[in-house]
Order: sequence, then structure tokens, then C-alpha cells
Amino acid sequence: MMTSGLLWLTPLLPLAVGLAMLLVRDRRVLTALDLVGSLTVLGLTLAIAGRVVRGGPVSALGVFRADHLTVLFLLLIGLLAVAVSVATVGWMRQELARGQMRAERLRYYYALVHGFVATMLVTVLADNLGILWIAMEGTTITSALLVGFHGDKHGLEAAWKYIIVTTIGISFGLFGTVLVYGAAAHAQGGVLAGAMNWSSIVAIAPRLDPGIIRIGFIFVMVGYGTKAGLAPVHMWLPDAHSQAPTPVSALLSGALIKCALFGIIRFHTIARAACGPQFSQGLLLTFGLVSVVVATPFILAQYDLKRLLGYSSVEHVGIIALGLGFGGRLGTYGALLHVINHGVTKALVFLVAGDAIGRYGTRDMRVIRGLLGIAPMAGTLLLMGVFALAGTPPFSIFISELMVIRAGIAAGRYVILAVFLCMVVTIFAGFIHRVGQMVFGTADASVGREPEARLPMLGLLLLVAAMLLFGVYLPAGLDRVLAHATEIIVG
Amino acid sequence: MSVALATRLIDVLGALLLFSTLLILASGQLFRAIYAVAVQSVFLAIAGAVLGAATGNPDLWVIAGITIIVKAVLLPWLLIWVVRRIQISREIEPVIPINATLALAAGIVVLAFRLSASLGPVRQAITGNALPVGIAVILLGVLVMASRRKALVQMVGLFATENGIFFTAMAVSQGMPLIIEIGIILDVVLGALVMGILVLRVRSSVDTDIADLENLRG
Repeated sequence: MMTSGLLWLTPLLPLAVGLAMLLVRDRRVLTALDLVGSLTVLGLTLAIAGRVVRGGPVSALGVFRADHLTVLFLLLIGLLAVAVSVATVGWMRQELARGQMRAERLRYYYALVHGFVATMLVTVLADNLGILWIAMEGTTITSALLVGFHGDKHGLEAAWKYIIVTTIGISFGLFGTVLVYGAAAHAQGGVLAGAMNWSSIVAIAPRLDPGIIRIGFIFVMVGYGTKAGLAPVHMWLPDAHSQAPTPVSALLSGALIKCALFGIIRFHTIARAACGPQFSQGLLLTFGLVSVVVATPFILAQYDLKRLLGYSSVEHVGIIALGLGFGGRLGTYGALLHVINHGVTKALVFLVAGDAIGRYGTRDMRVIRGLLGIAPMAGTLLLMGVFALAGTPPFSIFISELMVIRAGIAAGRYVILAVFLCMVVTIFAGFIHRVGQMVFGTADASVGREPEARLPMLGLLLLVAAMLLFGVYLPAGLDRVLAHATEIIVG
Repeated sequence: MSVALATRLIDVLGALLLFSTLLILASGQLFRAIYAVAVQSVFLAIAGAVLGAATGNPDLWVIAGITIIVKAVLLPWLLIWVVRRIQISREIEPVIPINATLALAAGIVVLAFRLSASLGPVRQAITGNALPVGIAVILLGVLVMASRRKALVQMVGLFATENGIFFTAMAVSQGMPLIIEIGIILDVVLGALVMGILVLRVRSSVDTDIADLENLRG
């Protein structure tokens, strides 16, 4: 009973905090509420994680359910919420000073961020596939307002493209959900209680009609794949991620696209059991490889820092899809670990990039020069983060990418691996070249040289700690959660 | 109401649903497209009532009622209000000529029926031709959105797509649980409101249609 209460409380609390924020006008109170709210979310996710690790999956009235897979995504959302809130303190100061953010609209901003976090939490907690969909569309609605928050022409264009493309994409996901539900109802010979719940569908999955599940999974893959930023349905991603306020970009890239992947994984487990692993894994491999290939030229030709990071997210989502597609224990484990590693690293790089963009007043990488000289901390972190994104040891992404590659070898998919490795090497070169130019050299005299604030750095250091730690040592608790989550997917 | 009669009625309503989607595709004028999607929603509501009578599931009546209020009245009214408010030209400028889109549409409908004919016994779980009609309407809605560069027409296409999904969802066994359907409709309304806000904000700052903005590339 206590535990199921916890499941309800986790999304309701940030929602309540968000609503309370609408009544507050004082900036300091808002910041404090933001920090406390995010810390509570992290606390609640840790509490759920503790229960699940000790006592197995818990469910609440067939609406919410937390298993090891959920826990993994919950922890990512909780960690990023805290890191982003702490970093927002410094970012907001910069934005207010530059006149980008109007003080009287602050409360809407903070309230929307907490609403956004609440909807993401519901997505990963949902057992009922209909609720999963409703929450996923909820994330679009709240974050579209955030993407266009500045109200300039580019931001609004990005917000429009984002909401139109993902809403239509997601409606494909709804249709896929309806088909899977129809198949489940048919197999049960009528609508029983919980017929829409993932846990009850997956239990009867081997008896589901493979033909309809196949069509359903294609719709889900295209639909939630749009939201996850998988090419060729990623068109909204670089725009939205580059135009959103920086903390929101960090949440979009770090957490939101992973929530969409979570939806795909849920349906993948159903499809695996209903029509064998070949079908859904083949589809995941196709989308994954196309994403990596499509992202490469755009990364090489990019001058806009945040767009570059957006395309890099397309690449990394592709890597996760490849890991799931290669399948087996190793590939799935690697893909899940990559969810965490990429989420942590990309959020870090976005936040540091936001600081640099604030100082130079531009996102053009040809103009940003000598960051290390004027902001040593930010410069170092940016360099570390980019090396990590490019897949260099000793950072965590290297480990999970290596697992995905080894899974590919084990599955005997040499052609796909060869293409993938060529792309990764090319991206590495392009990435290091561009960012090296930004970090080294001497900055113009006009660039803001105010000293770096300490407190916001704490948020970034939290992420750096995770990024370094998971590169050299995986805590036993996390390893157990990953192993159980892998078991849920590959059985 | 007997099952055979309900199946026949659903097939008739499905044909009407398809026909109204084609009307949206063929219309060269904004208001006509909005009225067409409103009429389509009325057909959807009637389908809900028919299925409600056939299965004896009261939830479907509730959904039919909500569909009439929200999709046939509220959302079209919102669209018309926005059109009046921003006083844009009411001609629809297609990216692809209308005749070519209609030819594409015919192909999509045939494809949807071929696809669902290939399915096995599970088709019995779905009343009549609701599955191919649903797939066709969804894809046609996407075609509307892809072939028209005008924010409000794109919204009309989105509503048409959602009507297609609801039509299939109602015909699956006894429809989805009521609370889920209500949640979905709530999302649709909130999404439409946010889209409306974005259209109005762009109109007030740069005086163009938001779907016409093309500064973000590469």
C-alpha cells in the first residue's frame, strides 16, 4: 500500500509544485521551489528504486507499475531534473542580464518545466498503454510551449514544427496501441480488466495474432520513433533542441527522447513474444543505422553549436536502437546503459554549451574562440563532455558503445557494424575538430569575462561524476537493475 | 440492434468518413476544409452511437456525445475563430496540385484495404471494414498535412487523422476504456489550444503563417 502510494505521489508532486509556482512572483522563492521540487523528485525515484530492487515490481491499481526497466528511466529523469535545476540558477541569471527572459514570465517557465517533468514521470510509470500514450502527448504539449518560450521567430517556428510533427507521429503510436489492444482483447475472448495493461498483454503475448501485432509495431515504431528522434522521422529534433532554452534542451535530449524509447521498448517486448525477435529487431536495426548515417553529414557540416548537439542526439538514439536491434543479453544491456550514459553526458554538454553561448552571445562555432581562457571550468567540462560524446575512454559512453559493437559481432551483423564504425569515426573527427577550435585560442575582447558562478557548477559536477564513474566502475546496484531490465526485454 | 445491421451501418459510416476526408483533400478553401472535418466528426459520433446500441456498452454513447461536443463543434469553432482573428487569405495553396493529391489518395485507400485483407482471424475482433478505413483515413490526414503549407489546414489534417484512429478504436472489441478515451480527447483539445496560441503569436509578431516560416535548415 505504501509503495503504491509512492507511485502516485511521484508524478503528482512535481505537478503540485508546478501549480504552486504559478502563484509566486518572487524570483528567489521560485528558484528555491524549483530546487526543492527537483530534489524531491530524485528522492522519490530513489525510494521507488529501493523498493523495486528489494521486493520486485510494484503496481498501483493497474494504472502505474514500476519494474526494473521503469526504475532505470526514473533514475535518469530524477538525476537530470536535479542537475538541470541547479544549473538553471546560473543560466537564469545570465538570461535575465541579457534581457532574454522577462522577470514577470519566470513563473510560467518554471511551472512548465515541472509540468514537463511530471508528464515524463507518468510516461515511464504507466502500465496502461493508453496512459503511456496520453502522458507522451502531454510531454509534447508542455515542452512545445517551452521550446517557443522566448517568443522569437525562430523559437516559434521550431515549436510549431515540433508540435505538429510529433503530434502526428504520436498519433501513429496511438493507432499501433489500438491494434495491439485489439489483438489482446481478441486473444482473451473479450475485454477483461486490465486488457490495456502492458503487464497483462505481455503475459499472453505468445497467443497474440502475429499479423496484427506486426502492423501495430510498425505504427508504434514510426510513431514513438518520431518522438525519440530516430531518422528519417527526426526532422523536428535539431530545430527544437537548438531553439529551446538551454535547460529545456538538456531535458529534451537527456530525458524526453529516452521516454519515447521506453515506449518502443515496451512494445518491442510484446512484439518479440508474439512474432519472434527477428521482426522487431530488424526494424530497430534499420531505424538505428539510418539515424547514425543521416546524422553524420549534418554533424560535419554544422556551425550552430546547439544544432550540432541535436544531431548528435539523433546519432546516439540510433546507437541505442542498434543495441536493441542486435539483441541478445549484451546488446540489450549495452543499449540500456547507453540510455543512462547518453542522457547524463548530453545534458552536461548542453548546459555547458548554454553557458558558452551566453558569454559569446552567439551559437556560431566559428565565432566562439578561447573558451578555456575566459572560463576554465566550462572550457574543461565542454572538452570532456565532447570527448565523451565522441566515444573516448575513460568516459561512460565508450563502455556502452563497446557493448553494442560486441553484440553486433556476436549477432554476425558485420555489414551494419562496418557502416556504423565508419560513421562513428567520422563523427569523432568532426566533433573534436570543431570543439577544439572553440575551446583553445584567444577570445575576443568583447566576450563576457565574468567569473564562473560556483553553485550552478555543482549541477554540472554531479553529471560529470556520473559520466566518469560509469566509465570505470558500474555500481553493483545499477548493474543489478540493468541486468533485471535486460531480462524483462529478452526474457 | 443486430450485429449484422451494425456491421452494415459501420461500413456505410466508414465510406462516409473516407468520403469526407477526400473532401478535405479536394477543398481549395479553408472554411470548406474546416466544415468537412466537422461533418466527419458527426459521422464518427454516429458510428459511436451505432456501436453503443449494438454492443450495449454505455461508454460508447458517452464517447459519441463527447465527440459531437468537442470534435464537431468546439474544435472547428476554435479554428474558425483563429481564422477570423488573424484574417489570413482563405485560399489554400497546395504544395502538390490537388489532382495529384487525389490520385495519391486513391492509391492509399487501395493499399489500406489490401493490407488489412492480408490479416488473419483477428479481423473478427474489429467490426466490419473499420480497420482499413481507419488506416486509410490516418494516412490521408497525413497527406493533407504534408501537401498543404498552411498552419490551420495542417491542424485540420491532424484532426482527420485522429478521427480515423478513434473510428478503429471504437470498433475494436468494445472500444477502449472510457477514461483512456477521455484522456486522449483532453490531449487533443490541449494540443489544439497550444497550436492556436503558436499561430496567433507568430501572426502578431511577424505577420506570416507559422507553417510558412523556413529559417531553420541544415
